[in-house]
Amino acid sequence: MTDPVIQAMDVTKRYGEVLGLNGFNATIGPGITGLIGPNGAGKSTLFRLLVGQLKVDAGELRILGYNPWGEGEFRRKVGYCPEHSTLLEWMTARDFVTSLLRVDGFPKEEAIERATRAIATVGLTEAQDRALATYSKGMRQRIKLAQSIAHDPELILLDEPLNGVDPVGRATVMSLLRKLQQSGRHVLVSSHVLYEVERLTDQIVMITNGRAIAEGDLHRIRDLIDAHPHVIDIETPDPRRVARVLSTMDHVVSVEFPGDGRLRVRSRSPEEFYRALPGLVVQEGLDIRAVGSADDNLDAVFRYLSEGSR
Amino acid sequence: MSISAPRYAAGTVVRTGRGSRILAIASREFFRRARAATLLSVSLTFFVVVTVIVVTVFFASLLGTANAGDFETVYESPVWPFLMLIVAASAGAGSLADDVGDRSISLYLSRPVHLVDYVAAKTVACGGWLLISTVGPGLTGVAVTAALGYASASVLLAAIAGFVATGFVAAVFFTGLALGLSSLTNRALYSGVAIFGVVLVLYIGGSIVAGITGNIYVPYANPIENIRSVAHGAFGLSGTTATEPAASAVTLVGAGVVLWVFALWRMRRVEVISE
Repeated sequence: MTDPVIQAMDVTKRYGEVLGLNGFNATIGPGITGLIGPNGAGKSTLFRLLVGQLKVDAGELRILGYNPWGEGEFRRKVGYCPEHSTLLEWMTARDFVTSLLRVDGFPKEEAIERATRAIATVGLTEAQDRALATYSKGMRQRIKLAQSIAHDPELILLDEPLNGVDPVGRATVMSLLRKLQQSGRHVLVSSHVLYEVERLTDQIVMITNGRAIAEGDLHRIRDLIDAHPHVIDIETPDPRRVARVLSTMDHVVSVEFPGDGRLRVRSRSPEEFYRALPGLVVQEGLDIRAVGSADDNLDAVFRYLSEGSR
Repeated sequence: MSISAPRYAAGTVVRTGRGSRILAIASREFFRRARAATLLSVSLTFFVVVTVIVVTVFFASLLGTANAGDFETVYESPVWPFLMLIVAASAGAGSLADDVGDRSISLYLSRPVHLVDYVAAKTVACGGWLLISTVGPGLTGVAVTAALGYASASVLLAAIAGFVATGFVAAVFFTGLALGLSSLTNRALYSGVAIFGVVLVLYIGGSIVAGITGNIYVPYANPIENIRSVAHGAFGLSGTTATEPAASAVTLVGAGVVLWVFALWRMRRVEVISE
């Protein structure tokens, strides 16, 4: 069995009265893993614990086999792209990445070469000699990404790397992350925009209120929520009549009227619902214009699980 | 937009040592502080100190009595400590506060450096500016007077020793003060104001309390009085001062070191919360 890249056992971190992490448990394996949770869930706290900037109050945290607190040298193996860190505005992008590589311990020539290469990797070569103060938010995110990969780390920790990046930039970053994975790197990427992570990986850890509420393969997590009703949205010019017919189904637990000719049905068995629906349409002469499931994306999974954890 | 996976260099790269990594942070910090306020205050210090030295030694040489004490005159003026406060505030107030305030400290501390390395690097940068300001103008003044032939070689050598000794002690104190106060806040403005506030309170308050109580130990709480005393001793002047020069030097260096340790202790407790 492959060793876990990151292992968290009952990790707790407090900021005075506030709990940043609250008994967080997760085992993160190789490849790309998505860390998903709303703002304030504890994602950035976890990242800071992972790079040893914060000390665990209780529990145990291992990253690449190391205890990150106090281990300065292991950070050579880790690249970190913080969410909010302000860049050093007066520097050019190349100077910025080069000087951080010098702090990593690279000789000057090597640092310049690596910085140039990393900047090219994130598609900012043309702007590399401009002051960072002139960069857009998306460019700033990409240059932070460049500094996190420039020293060839084994594990890359990316805290909301797609936040503020334009669509083209997003595609660039996503493509880069996949290529980093293909070259044997491990990536832990956080986001509160769920569809972005869904497009990157099936391996996810869901976090809310400082706790991991689910981890593993996305499809297995979806199996976990079978006990929860699935939401199905229906468009019809006669929602009351459709609602009356559908509410006779045993697995339908509720029917709502959001308005504008729409109906929202919650079913404990979506497969049975979809199997039975065509027959009912024909048999009862129902006028149904469109059927959609809010469960088609990760957002719904997260919503179910986070509601279940409260 | 095109994209390509990074190509990593084959072979092992020999990493530089801890000292080089500290210097990498220090040099960046040093040049970061090379802004208008710092450059202006340092330039002003050079102009004032060199002018005072040249004019004082010129008049002394007319009387044929130029000695090391003439070079020390600059420390007797209230202008010199005021200039040092401006330099300390402009070069050191933001040393730690700026990085915590804009969270760029995360970028440093995610690298293979320890917190003590980071604080040491900030010390080198801030101390560098202060050493330039405390020692540089005096040595420049000596060079100018030497070029003009206002003083003998022995007097010039004594003056060099005086400026180096006094400047070093003053730089240690102001560096520790700037870092200690910078570690207390995430705004450089607050620590800059605090640098002025602390020194002026000690200067004025110390003078008043010493005058009222007559306690011989109170002047040791006054950094300006201590620096003057150190200068008095370093330039080999006769006569008494409010404090013992050697004890004042120990007090200033000790205070600087304690404030530095305080800054390190504070930084260990800084947690940059972004959520």
